[in-house]
Amino acid sequence: MGLVSRGMAAAGLGTAPAVVRPGPPDAVPNPTPNPPPEGAAPGSSRVPSMVLKAFFPTCCASADSGLLVGRWVPEQSSAVVLAVVHFPFIPIQVKELLAQVQQASRIGLAVLGTWCHHRQEPEESLGHFLEGLGTIFSHEPWLQLCRERGSKFWSCKATHWQVPISPGAPGEDQVMLIFYDQRKVLLSQLHPPAALPDHQAGDATASAGGLAAVFDTVARSEALFRSDRFDEGLVRLSHWQSEGVEASILVELAKRASGPVCLLLAYLLSLISAASTCWVFKLWPLSFIWSKLSTCEQLRHRLEQLTFIFSTQKAENTSQLMRKANMLVSVLLDVALGFALLSWLHGKDRIGQLADALVPVADRVAEELQHLLQWLMGAPAGLKMNRALDQVLGRFFLYHIHLWISYIHLMSPFIERILWHMGLSACLGLTVALSILSDIIALLTFHIYCFYVYGARLYCLKICGLSSLWRLFRGKKWNVLRQRVDSCSYDLDQLFIGTLLFTVLVFLLPTTALYYLVFTLLRLLVVTVQGLIHLLVDLINSLPLYALGLRLCRPYRLSAGVKFQVLEHEAGRPLRLLMQINPLPYNRVVHTYRLPSCGCHPKHSWSSLCRKLFFGELIYPWRQRGDKQD
Amino acid sequence: MEDELSFSDIYGGRLALQRRYYSPSCREFCLSCPRLSLRSLTAVTCTVWLAAYGLFTLCENSMILSAAIFITLLGLLGYLHFVKIDQETLLIIDSLGIQMTSSYASGKESTTFIEMGKVKDVIINEAIYMQKVIYYLCILLNDPVEPHGISQVVPVFQSAKPRLDCLIEVYRSCQEILAHRKATPTSS
Amino acid sequence: MCAQPVTDTPETRWQKVLYERQPFPDNYVDQRFLEELRKNIHARKYQYWAVVFESSVVIQQLCSVCVFGVIWWYMDQGLLAPHWLFGTGLALSLIGYVLFDLLDGGEGRRKSGRTRWADLKSALVFITFTYGFSPVLKTLTESVSTDTIYAMSVFMLLGHLIFFDYGANAAIVSSALSLNMAIFASVCLASRLPRSLHAFIMVTFAIQMFALWPMLQKKLKACTPRSYVGVTLLFACSALGGLLSISVVGATLFALLLVSISCLCPFYLIRLQLLKENIHGPWDEAEIKEDLSRFLS
Repeated sequence: MGLVSRGMAAAGLGTAPAVVRPGPPDAVPNPTPNPPPEGAAPGSSRVPSMVLKAFFPTCCASADSGLLVGRWVPEQSSAVVLAVVHFPFIPIQVKELLAQVQQASRIGLAVLGTWCHHRQEPEESLGHFLEGLGTIFSHEPWLQLCRERGSKFWSCKATHWQVPISPGAPGEDQVMLIFYDQRKVLLSQLHPPAALPDHQAGDATASAGGLAAVFDTVARSEALFRSDRFDEGLVRLSHWQSEGVEASILVELAKRASGPVCLLLAYLLSLISAASTCWVFKLWPLSFIWSKLSTCEQLRHRLEQLTFIFSTQKAENTSQLMRKANMLVSVLLDVALGFALLSWLHGKDRIGQLADALVPVADRVAEELQHLLQWLMGAPAGLKMNRALDQVLGRFFLYHIHLWISYIHLMSPFIERILWHMGLSACLGLTVALSILSDIIALLTFHIYCFYVYGARLYCLKICGLSSLWRLFRGKKWNVLRQRVDSCSYDLDQLFIGTLLFTVLVFLLPTTALYYLVFTLLRLLVVTVQGLIHLLVDLINSLPLYALGLRLCRPYRLSAGVKFQVLEHEAGRPLRLLMQINPLPYNRVVHTYRLPSCGCHPKHSWSSLCRKLFFGELIYPWRQRGDKQD
Repeated sequence: MEDELSFSDIYGGRLALQRRYYSPSCREFCLSCPRLSLRSLTAVTCTVWLAAYGLFTLCENSMILSAAIFITLLGLLGYLHFVKIDQETLLIIDSLGIQMTSSYASGKESTTFIEMGKVKDVIINEAIYMQKVIYYLCILLNDPVEPHGISQVVPVFQSAKPRLDCLIEVYRSCQEILAHRKATPTSS
Repeated sequence: MCAQPVTDTPETRWQKVLYERQPFPDNYVDQRFLEELRKNIHARKYQYWAVVFESSVVIQQLCSVCVFGVIWWYMDQGLLAPHWLFGTGLALSLIGYVLFDLLDGGEGRRKSGRTRWADLKSALVFITFTYGFSPVLKTLTESVSTDTIYAMSVFMLLGHLIFFDYGANAAIVSSALSLNMAIFASVCLASRLPRSLHAFIMVTFAIQMFALWPMLQKKLKACTPRSYVGVTLLFACSALGGLLSISVVGATLFALLLVSISCLCPFYLIRLQLLKENIHGPWDEAEIKEDLSRFLS
């Protein structure tokens, strides 16, 4: 069947106006006439068959003439060109090379067509020679790419050897040239990862959908790119070549050294974790304290991370590798910041200053609290409280503050030593130092916590009592079985006692509520400060710094997909597109690679928090056992 | 081939629709909004600075003035970089996919490419927006699990919000290309 | 709309059903439609003196509130010794307790199955709790303004009168709520008294007045209606007398109120009954006649 390329005259493949390829003789009598080359008229009614897409690496654009080697994806009708084989070559050797690569990469590589780059005056003989190659490397369809000197536009045609099965379909396809950067496509990682067939099970025919197939092809045929330009192999190839072989010696050394180092560190870490799981630490009061101290949680978290990083088994896939790298960078940054803090603290006797400032601050806080209580024992904000209850509560709390002050003064000679030792912990990382700070705040505001608990318990009791007595007041009761309020006939004495208590509670409620409100506000202040510290710790713990750095310096490494740019276009020539890597947005980088945080802090929704506050339930900065995740 | 038409958005502002037909299988539609006008910029800046100056005369704290300058600068940068979209482009390539690009006023471009295999159809839909009903063009994506289901609806020209007449132009062209795809099944 | 002409043959009679096709237009109204109209089925004829007798329950309750108010005023002014009130209250309670059993010959006690030990326990609970709480009650409302207390008590006593079970079968009636409101009001008022003993005795008196006295009244009314009328008159007179010793204007107004409730209101009820025009017919919503309570238990 003779096929005339559309726009062949304009392709500049020599003076031959039309190249006729010998085909099966039965097809000759009825050549399929093609419509004349047309400018892309809008709304043209011509129905082409599926457009053939030729993915061409930009690095091969300046290569000498030769053969196109790549993979043909029939589902997409796209040809992924991977390399150009230059003249001269022996066809058998080319086939052997392809077979080798195919074995290594398990994808079907083939010679897709010819590449012709006219540097000098076009030679007619070359054109014919290239035609002839098609008979040696039979491929369906046969691509013929041609680039002329001094012209930006290439010509390209694809021919089918056999007669098309369906009589209506034209024998020649429309061709679309898509340039891609081989290096970027090779190194980039698609997000979300397409469901690629396993490297073991996947054979050449298994294909992922669409563009993922292109990425997959390029990534798997890495074996083809291994030979560099200085190798004098049997077959000369033109493709992307990595630079900087010299630098990789250092990388190689580091790789060799990392094995034993990892082994040693893993052994040390396993010793530490074994020590930490010793039974002495699991006795009742100790285990309770460990679970409440954020320092312990942070240390445990870091230990887990380090164990994961230095585990001797190899990372299975890229996501695990990224996770390891992120953790390593986060730990390194953490330790660096910690050392900076350490050097700042231990220079110029700052510890001593801090210790000297701490006791007066604690005293001052206690004094302010005393003033607050005295204000509450009067008529705070003009509110009329129950005087007797007010006095009782106020004296009770004042006694607590008195106890607290004496405790602080007992501690004051040792505070500097304690702080000095605490400061040393900063070399374990800034997060550990911050966690210790949070714990110190918790310990120093223990009196506020006590007040809060007393106030909340009292208030909770009153609210619960009032709610049930209010039902009794109306002659109703809560039906537990049906989860509703039912009417109920009470006895006379029940009604009497209930109403008496109700009256008493109603008149005492404002006093309790005010104490509860004030101490809850204080407690919330402390919890907010602690929460901010925890937020900072979580930020350092969970920010994927390596991935962010990669996104910043090598945007193509993490790709959200591709984007196309239409290159300059001339009527009658194939459409040329430039395929670029679409980098992953920063928020998605963070979202995808976020490290798991410590996970010891509760996550209240605002409504549930307000509910808890109103009903006087206790609020903790750590997660309760029975807590439900909102 | 390239031509430019003038339309209006749902508020009555001017929009320019550029159509570029590269080939029968590749078309591009580019909707350009009017640029940030100097008048509104001046008005907002003056308002903020006058308010800051009013506060300054009350409080006599010069921090307010510097804060106002910083807020206006940061606000302007943020507005140009994250909010103001100058141009929205829809590139549709037969058998390859649909690409949507939004160019921000600062030059930042955000691109989304949807492969043709995932595209179920392109339709015009109605939505209730504030107090009126507007039309918008959207791309329906195939559900990978259920063959006839729709997994997602991706709206196009989200910031320009052109009126129905403009949408119909784009819709017709899109449907022409999508019709090719339907005429030739995926197995070639 | 049916296109068929109306055929007035004797065979095709209009039926009040929707499930059959009938040769009548949709808006057809048959002659027999209003045949089933009934008027004032449930209207009752009242006798004047019977209504007056029934209204004595309201009179009693009004007088109870009035007596309570008067006693509280005397206590507050220091004119009434708490011991005296306690003694009187105790004696009257004992008399009432004996009367309560004597009136129906122990019939009610056997029916309810309530033992005397339970009564004693209830009494002990009242006394103990009130006595224990009286110091608390004394200081309870110290910081609250007196006017607020008065307003609250008035509201609560009004609520007591509104929600009291006068024998009418209405949704608003709730004897528990009514009693609770009265106790709340008494606690509020008692907290204003000068000493905690006063408060204790005031609350005890409130229980006698609002909880025990209505029980005895009910029994009196059921067993000996004549003596009940006498007791009501006596009680009303004593309440009026007490009020008169405090304020003449108040006593006059209260007397007018009592008269209007016991004489004028029944009169008006009977007069207005004549104007009643209550129509019933097949258009009424369906009413389930059968007693379903045996299925619900």
